[in-house]
Amino acid sequence: MTVSSQVKQTLATLEGAQGILKLYLTQTQDKETKAVFEKAINAASGIIGDLQARIRVLEREENQYKGF
Amino acid sequence: MAWLRILTRSVGIFVLTFFLVRVMGKRNLARMHPFGLVNLIVIAVLVSFLTLGYFENYLFGLFALGVWVLAPITLDYLALKSKRIHDLVRGKETVLVKHGKIMEENLLQERFSGEELLRELRKKNIFNLTDVEFAVMETDGSLNVLLKSDRKPLTAHDIGQKVAPQAEAQTVILDGNMLDEPLASLGLNRAWLKTEIAKAGVSVENVFIGQVDASGDLYLDLFDDAIQIPRPRVKERVYASLEKCHADLAKFALETKNAAAKTMYAKDADKLKEILNELKPYLLR
Repeated sequence: MTVSSQVKQTLATLEGAQGILKLYLTQTQDKETKAVFEKAINAASGIIGDLQARIRVLEREENQYKGF
Repeated sequence: MAWLRILTRSVGIFVLTFFLVRVMGKRNLARMHPFGLVNLIVIAVLVSFLTLGYFENYLFGLFALGVWVLAPITLDYLALKSKRIHDLVRGKETVLVKHGKIMEENLLQERFSGEELLRELRKKNIFNLTDVEFAVMETDGSLNVLLKSDRKPLTAHDIGQKVAPQAEAQTVILDGNMLDEPLASLGLNRAWLKTEIAKAGVSVENVFIGQVDASGDLYLDLFDDAIQIPRPRVKERVYASLEKCHADLAKFALETKNAAAKTMYAKDADKLKEILNELKPYLLR
């Protein structure tokens, strides 16, 4: 079983990267670039959802690591 | 009192000529085709005669100046309307090299020797005649060359690499002054600019030139050359964070003993890898 703190770290990094992509999405004016960034942001949201679900499962099993 | 008369006349004609030259436009003056040059010289001579008062009645001089300024402009407009007048006024381009072969009759027609052709090619850094696919002499006497496709400089298209489309960078600060028009064309405003400058740790008065590129990053050049502003590496850092997440996901897929989690991690790792490949041209190049 992976330690939940590692998964939380990856989640935080991913959320940070997604935030910057959102910033670039608002800053660019080119349609093609906007589309690519949107796609990346959506994929990142999906992965973030998966990771959060996994963390909930892990927290239930490793009670000492509960919470951030 | 003669000097006062010459002074006022000179200033007046200076202003007049300035406006006339602006009216004549960029094309007319930059283009050095033979008649354009003659036109310019005649105008210059007329203006100096006017300034020195060589005409008994200066209105005659202004009249002559008017003709020499308006006639080329009229000819240009007529040339725009009719192709025949266009060819008459500007002439046609002559093809000198076609499909790699020199057209000797055209060279003769332009009174251009082989030596001069080679010299013009060398001016464009072409030392081998075999590299040339097509060369044409324009109406103003300059030579323009198309190289054979395997001799042209490499472009991203040739390698099959995708490169993000890049619009031009807008200059938003010049000489310490913030320019509103370029900011507006990017959809930004002064408040954003002030925040970005504060983030870089300087104030507006220190900035000589500031440019915003197509993706919204601000680049600054300061008056004080001793201070070094680090180039913003946000895009590279985002790409690196995503790469790290991908590596982490792959590691979790290997470490976890839960079968469902394993498939989830593996699927997400693949998805992230795909996203990384798509983002590469936009973040890194």
